[in-house]
Amino acid sequence: MEVLDSLLLGFSVALRPDVLFYAFVGCLVGTLVGMLPGIGPLAGVSILLPLTFGLDPTKAIVMLAGIYYGSQYGGSTTSILLRIPGEAASVMTCIDGNAMARKGRAGAALCIAAVGSFIAGTFGVIMLTLIAPPLANFALRFGPPEYTALLVLGLIFLAYMSTSSLPRTLLMAAFGLMLGTIGIDVMSGHFRFSFDIPELGDGIGIVPVAVGLFGLGEILSTPSRNVKTNVVSPKLRELLPTRTEWRQSTWPIARGSVLGFFIGIIPGSAHIISSFVSYALERRLSKHPEEFGKGAVAGVAGPESANNSASTGAFVPMLALGIPTGPVIAVLMAALLIHGIPPGPTLVNDHPKLFWGFVASMYVGNLMLLALNLPLVGAFVSVLRIPYAYLYPMIIMFCVIGVYQVNNSIVDVWIMLIMGVVGYGLKKFNFDPAPLVLGLVIAPIFEMSLRQSLIMSGGNWHIFLQRPIALVLLLICVVLLGLAIYGAVIARRDWRAKLAAAEAGE
Amino acid sequence: MSGPGKSAAILRADHIAGGVFIALGIAVFILGWNLPFGRLSAPGAGMLPKLTAGLLILFAVIIVATGAASEKLSQLPWSDWIHAALVTGITAAAVSLYTTLGFLITMSLLIFTLLVLVERKNIVGSAAYAAALTLFAYWLFAIALKAPLERGLLWF
Repeated sequence: MEVLDSLLLGFSVALRPDVLFYAFVGCLVGTLVGMLPGIGPLAGVSILLPLTFGLDPTKAIVMLAGIYYGSQYGGSTTSILLRIPGEAASVMTCIDGNAMARKGRAGAALCIAAVGSFIAGTFGVIMLTLIAPPLANFALRFGPPEYTALLVLGLIFLAYMSTSSLPRTLLMAAFGLMLGTIGIDVMSGHFRFSFDIPELGDGIGIVPVAVGLFGLGEILSTPSRNVKTNVVSPKLRELLPTRTEWRQSTWPIARGSVLGFFIGIIPGSAHIISSFVSYALERRLSKHPEEFGKGAVAGVAGPESANNSASTGAFVPMLALGIPTGPVIAVLMAALLIHGIPPGPTLVNDHPKLFWGFVASMYVGNLMLLALNLPLVGAFVSVLRIPYAYLYPMIIMFCVIGVYQVNNSIVDVWIMLIMGVVGYGLKKFNFDPAPLVLGLVIAPIFEMSLRQSLIMSGGNWHIFLQRPIALVLLLICVVLLGLAIYGAVIARRDWRAKLAAAEAGE
Repeated sequence: MSGPGKSAAILRADHIAGGVFIALGIAVFILGWNLPFGRLSAPGAGMLPKLTAGLLILFAVIIVATGAASEKLSQLPWSDWIHAALVTGITAAAVSLYTTLGFLITMSLLIFTLLVLVERKNIVGSAAYAAALTLFAYWLFAIALKAPLERGLLWF
C-alpha cells in the first residue's frame, strides 16, 4: 500500500501539465537522437543537459530520462528501415528488422518494435517501482568499505560484460579514474595535475568528456561520403502486424523484458549487451533458427524489448545506491548533482516528489513514445533526409554550446575537442571509451570511500574482508575475474566475442 | 633463417596503443612525483593517481605483450584522417575565437567553413544555411531558454 500511495504522489507530479510537457519534449528529442547516426543517447543527453539548467530538478530529470529511453525507441526505426543502427543497442534489430522491411513488412516490424519497447519499458518501470525503494533502504547500511567494494564490483562487472577484452576495458577504466583525480584533492587541498589552469581545479567535467568522446569523436571518424541513406517511409495502414506475427512476438517480448531488466541493473553498456543476449536466446529457443537473419519476428521483438527494459533497469542502482551503471546514467546523475540533489539511498525519503514523480513520468513517457512512434513514423523518417554533410556542422555547434553552457568555460570546450580527438584515436585502435567515462564518474566517490575506509581501519586492508557486505561484493569480483581469465585462456568465442564481431560487421 | 618480412618484427596496432598508454602512465608518475602518497592509515593526495597510473601501465603492458594478434598498423583504416584533421582544425579555430567574436559570428563562420572547406558546398547556400542555423540556435538558447550566450563583438 505504501508503494501505491507513493506512486499516486508521483502521478500527481508527473501528470502536471508542465511536467507532461517536458516529458513529451524529452521523448520527442530522444526519438530524433536515437534515429540520427552520429549522436547516440549519451551525446544527446550531454549536449542537451544545459537546456535543463533553468528548470526545476524534477522537470530536468524527467526530460533527460525521456531523451534516454526515447532514443532506444528511435534507434529501432533507422535499424529497420535503413539498416543503420542510430545507436549501438539497435545493432541486433538491424539484422531481422531490415530483413522484414525488405520483405515488405517494415510497418509490422516497426509496430512490433514499438509495442515490445512499450511493454518492456512499462515492465521495467514496475520492477523499478518495486525494487528501488527497498534496495535504497538496504543501502543505508553501506559505509565507505561497502561503497568501495561496490564500485570495484561495478568496474569488474563492466570489464566482464564488455565486448572488449578484459585488459582493454580495465585500462580504459583506469584511464577514466586517472582523469578523475585531476583537480583539488578535497581531503588535503592539494592541486593535482591542474597546470596552473584555475578551471581544472574543479576537475574534468563529465559532459565535455562524454560529448567529446561520443559526439565529436563519432563525427571525426564519419566523413559524409560514408553516410548514404535511402529513405523509404512505410504507410500507416501497413503498420499492423498479422495475427501470426503477434503470436510469434508474444514470448520474445516477455522474455526480453525480464532479461533486459536484470541485465540493466548490472554496470556496463547493459542495453547493448541485453539486446545481443536476447537475440541469442530467441535463436536458441526458436523452432526455426534458420529464419534468423532472414526476417524472424522474434529477432526484432526480443532485442528491442530487452534494450528498453535494460535502459529502465539501469536507473535502479542510480536511484537506490547513487551508483551509475553506465555513461548515460552517469550524465543523468551529474544532472541531479548540478541541481543540488544527490542520488542515492536518501533520495526516496529526502525528495519523494522528485523520486516518485520521476518513476511515474516513466509510465507516462512509455505511453507517449508509443503514441509518437507509430503514427508519426513517416514524419520522423523524413528527418533522415537531411544530408549528413549539413547535419554534422549543426551537431558540432550544439556540442560547443552544450559544453560551454555547463560552466560558461571555454576550457571545457577545449577539453571536449581534445577528447574528441582521443575518441577518434581510441576508435581506430579498438578501445571502447564507455569504461573511461564510468571511471571518470566514479573516481571521486571511489577515492573518497577508499581513503575513508583506510582511515577508519587505521590503514588495515582487512576492513574490506571483515565487513560481510563488502566481503560478499569482493568475492563476486574474484569470481568474475576468474571467469574472465578462464574465458580468455581457453580463448573460446563466446557471446561477447560474437557481439563484438556483430558490431564490427554492422 | 628469419627473413626481413617475419611477422614478429611487424609493428601492430596494440604495440603502438599500449606504448602510448605506458608513456602516459610514466608521465603521470613524473608529473605527480611531488604529490604525497601518504600512509595506508592516512592516504595522501597522490595515492589514487599513482595507483591508477600503475594499473594503466600494467594493463598497457599486457596489451603490448598480447599485441601480436592485433591488426598491422598499416591495416588500420585511416582514409578519414583528412576529414578528421579538417574538422578538428576548424573547430579549434572556432573555439579559440569564441569568447572574442561571440556566439553569432563564430558559429556562423564555423558552419560556413565546414560546409565550404570540408564538404565543398556552394558558397551562397552555405552562407544562408550557416546564418539561418545560427540564428535559430540563438533564438532557442538565448531567447526561448534564456541561456546566456557569448556576445563577443556584438552588443546584443
